[in-house]
Amino acid sequence: MTKKNPAYHLKDIQHYYGNTKVLDINDLKIVKGSITGLIGPNGSGKSTLLKLLAFARKPTRGHIFYKGRLELPFSPTVRSKVTLLTQKPYLLKRTIFENIAYGLKIRKDKKHLEGRVKKVLSTVGLDYQKFAHRKWHELSGGEAQRVAMAARLILKPEVLLLDEPIASVDTESAELIRKASLKARDNWGATLVIASHDLQWLYSISDKQLSIFKGNIFSTGMENIITGPFVKTDKKTLIKKLDDGQIITLKTPAPKTCTAIIRKKNISIDLEKQPGNSSLNQLSGHIVSMLLEKQTEYIMATISIHDLSLILRLSPDQISCLDLYPGKKVVLTFSSNNVEWI
Amino acid sequence: MDFIVAGFIKAIELLISGDSSTWTAVWATIKVSTGSMLLSIGTGLPCGFLLGYFDFKGKKHLRTILDTMLALPTVFIGLAVYAFISHQGPLGEMGLLFTLTGIAIGQTILAFPIVAAITASTIESIDHDLKLTLITLGAGKRHIIATCLWEVRYGILAGAVTAYGRVLTEVGISMMVGGNIKYHTRTITTAIALETNKGLFANGIALGLVLIMIAFIVNLSLSFLRKQ
Repeated sequence: MTKKNPAYHLKDIQHYYGNTKVLDINDLKIVKGSITGLIGPNGSGKSTLLKLLAFARKPTRGHIFYKGRLELPFSPTVRSKVTLLTQKPYLLKRTIFENIAYGLKIRKDKKHLEGRVKKVLSTVGLDYQKFAHRKWHELSGGEAQRVAMAARLILKPEVLLLDEPIASVDTESAELIRKASLKARDNWGATLVIASHDLQWLYSISDKQLSIFKGNIFSTGMENIITGPFVKTDKKTLIKKLDDGQIITLKTPAPKTCTAIIRKKNISIDLEKQPGNSSLNQLSGHIVSMLLEKQTEYIMATISIHDLSLILRLSPDQISCLDLYPGKKVVLTFSSNNVEWI
Repeated sequence: MDFIVAGFIKAIELLISGDSSTWTAVWATIKVSTGSMLLSIGTGLPCGFLLGYFDFKGKKHLRTILDTMLALPTVFIGLAVYAFISHQGPLGEMGLLFTLTGIAIGQTILAFPIVAAITASTIESIDHDLKLTLITLGAGKRHIIATCLWEVRYGILAGAVTAYGRVLTEVGISMMVGGNIKYHTRTITTAIALETNKGLFANGIALGLVLIMIAFIVNLSLSFLRKQ
């Protein structure tokens, strides 16, 4: 195992549920010790991808390399190095102490069990005396999520996969989960992959963001997805009419595809419409949110154009030059040729 | 109404005085029901687990057969066991007819589908997230199976209690296979039937009280275990 090997390398992965393809990943590498955010709508394949990364499910096709080694069939050793906190964590019908110690006990690692449980409970903000001997059903949703997190952290896994860890928790729990995740990376170099709908939270914790849509991964982070229905105006052109009267013109896709991707790098922002070029889409909208990408200090701006949301990645200079802020009216411009279809 | 009250008082006297015919029937019932429960749990639990946990061809048909067996009348089981262990039957040489072992075999056939079907249903009802959780905590196959069983222990216990109730109260098998022989194969239920026919209500009520007490103690113990 050389240091050059990434934690994961997924090659030509395809996964099906029955006849439905839910994942289609040509090549994906996840760097050791990184925190990767996974963004995508419901049903896009995030949970399935996390299950594959946890070696809990075998892909229908393709190869998963873990630290450079092809893992198939999954060995018990590799499974014990990776752990997944599912969206709806299941607590065993035992005490909280037993729940947290379960993973260690099956590894026959019972040294200083009480001390370790005490420590990990405090990491997730729970008091040992108050919680250790409670039953599984005597917890609130946020406490249960933190207990489930503690049950993973105590294993000191090489990889910690979190599926919507703050979907049903209060802000205090979300912050504790964020701090505990960062500790895992900083203290023992864990690699984290976190799926979340809460972009602000995800951007505050992750080094890199991947977006996933219909099982396709976009390693450039969030990209803009425009779904149908489209109207065909001629052989080469499709249009989408927005309810406020604005029109998006896109060049004809390959047959049978109906979802367009507009890369954020191909969209420019201005304060007013520019005259001229008919092949350009110019859409008016309002900035609804701005998120800081902590690694680069770029800003992810979400612009609402009636019922459509588009995302742009803007430099600090662009922000100050155009004096952009949430609520400001802007014009987005992109070429009808700069479209990909999936 | 008076004869019921009198019978009840007489029943208490019989139990306290240690009436031998009453107490041998009680011990025969305890022995035979314990033996049949051990056998039915030993076979029904693994079969129910396999049926509930794994998917395989013919699973639905097996489940249908098992569910049908739940409705087997005790006299039919008694008849079938009798046919097999009577002197003319294929197992006649084993000398099981009119023995407690013979009754236990019949009662095992009665309890097995209950234990297996309830175990299978309980295993099927396991939260899908449990197995995933265990895998992601690093559990191997052995630990997954053991933990799954432990998670549904109350459901399985409920199945065992249901089966025990059926075994404890059946008459058909004990009567046909055991022959209701005094001091030998007479159980509480066959004794109640006989004493009532003879008009000895006190003896019948005494035995009925013991039957209820046994059922109560079993359920109380399980309730205590659940609290633990």
